[in-house]
Amino acid sequence: MNTHKLARSCAIVGITRAIGLKTDKEKKTPLQLVVEACGELFRTTGIDRTKIGALFTGRMPRSYFTLQYSQSVLNELKIAPVISTEVTSHGGGALGTIELAALALNAGLVDYALCVTGEASPIWIDMIGGSANWEADLQFEAPYGPTTPSLYAQSACRYMHEYGISSRQMARVAVENRKWALHHPYAAMHKKGEITVDDVVNSPMIASPLHLLDCAPWFPGGIASAALITRADIAKQICPNPTYIAGFGQWNTHEWVGERMGTWNVEPVKKGPSMVRTGAKVAADNAYAMSGLSAADINIAETSVPFTFANLLMLEELGFCGEGEGGRFVESGGIDFDGGLPFNTTGGYLSFGQSGQGLYLLKEIVDQMWNQAEGKPIAGVENGLVHGHGGPLGCHSVMIVSKNN
Amino acid sequence: MKGNNPMNETPIKVPDWSAGKKVMVGELFLGLYQPSPETTGFWEGVKRRELLFKHCECGQFHHPRRMLCSVCSSQKLSWKKSTGIGSVYSFSEIHRAPTPEYAQTVPYTVGLIETGEGVHFFCRIDQGRKTPIAIGDKAKLDFRVLESGYQMPVFITHD
Ligand SMILES: [Zn+2]
Repeated sequence: MNTHKLARSCAIVGITRAIGLKTDKEKKTPLQLVVEACGELFRTTGIDRTKIGALFTGRMPRSYFTLQYSQSVLNELKIAPVISTEVTSHGGGALGTIELAALALNAGLVDYALCVTGEASPIWIDMIGGSANWEADLQFEAPYGPTTPSLYAQSACRYMHEYGISSRQMARVAVENRKWALHHPYAAMHKKGEITVDDVVNSPMIASPLHLLDCAPWFPGGIASAALITRADIAKQICPNPTYIAGFGQWNTHEWVGERMGTWNVEPVKKGPSMVRTGAKVAADNAYAMSGLSAADINIAETSVPFTFANLLMLEELGFCGEGEGGRFVESGGIDFDGGLPFNTTGGYLSFGQSGQGLYLLKEIVDQMWNQAEGKPIAGVENGLVHGHGGPLGCHSVMIVSKNN
Repeated sequence: MKGNNPMNETPIKVPDWSAGKKVMVGELFLGLYQPSPETTGFWEGVKRRELLFKHCECGQFHHPRRMLCSVCSSQKLSWKKSTGIGSVYSFSEIHRAPTPEYAQTVPYTVGLIETGEGVHFFCRIDQGRKTPIAIGDKAKLDFRVLESGYQMPVFITHD
């Protein structure tokens, strides 16, 4: 099918997740949740701490300030990896941990790699008040009083202007995502009922053109995820149904919104600066090329972008429709809960809620393949795509996983 | 960012950037708003009501704080005054303030101005003509003391 040496060379043989809620009587730290997820992973896979050769963590959680976060994790788990680091490309770093695992495994350095992400910020800190200070350049942007939605809105404004995208088309993403959330027990909007396009466009304006329901709420708690990755030959021996890592790609272009226009002359802005073309396209193209698959082969897709318009944009960049066609694609049923591409099947960032960064979107695809989804089950998932995003559309990781070796 | 608001206490006085200002997320100290050696030139310009961009010997303008030219890889960049002429490239009108400090000002607009030098400058944009701010509006440079208490370069739309 393909000849890329990394394609399907490694597999996920276990993936776990721990959740703590704001409303829990005993509030949990990110480290507690990480330990919970890893402990379950060791017990369910039968691969314990002594066999872990590589440890890759997502970035340090906002609510757990420590230098050398990966050291804190290995210290607590008492594992002694021969290679370890923290991957810091925002939400893109979560999948980055698995990319590094695949490289270390292929290089023959290790047999088992542990990839861990965790955040519990909404439990411990003021995410709304603090958010713009995290997302904006402190000297050159923050003093103007931006909010996180207003930073992303710069791209929304251009996206609508350049391609004629409408607020009602954007709203459609929120409407369809919500339907999935109603089936997922942990979704932030699980009990909030369906919404309509009118509900979205009539919700209060937060930062034009983004209304309240165009924006992702914070997940009301913390989530840690852990995945055990090994080479395909080992996976077949220890796991009845490994999920193969078919392809991946990553593309990071900038840190602050005002900086993105300076990244000219490299893809995806080879032809000049743009607020609307992103590294997701390059990451996805590379992931597809590695996997030998195309968008038509994908049965389920998850993205971590936190605004409606950005979901339309990602549907384009990830290859599910052409450039500028995101609005028409969803309008014509492209991601309909009934009959469309299963897209953001936990409810997405818009209705499941965002938890900063994590492997929990990847877990949803694996769970669907292993027939253990917590939300609505999807029949016949062979190949899935997950997109991890971070910064104001600055960091992008795409991973394609497959049941088939 | 509750607390001292020099706007109320010392109106119109241009604050001294070098004193810094704490950036807090709840009780968490993130850092200071203050110039660092590679940006001092920019803020010295702001004190004189001048908007300065980094200018490379190859002719390319950069913002902010570029130390290495992304066109020619030169490190010979110097501060050069902007003409202060531009147009609105993108914008967002903020209705929900980030912190109580800004709550009295909403709605206000932040966005990117495409300047004559080819720089896309992120800043506050104020409406200076009858029609609401829109992409392509002509805009010119001004300086305002904003909610943070600091004088900042802003752009005002005009006919
Ligand atoms: Zn140059």
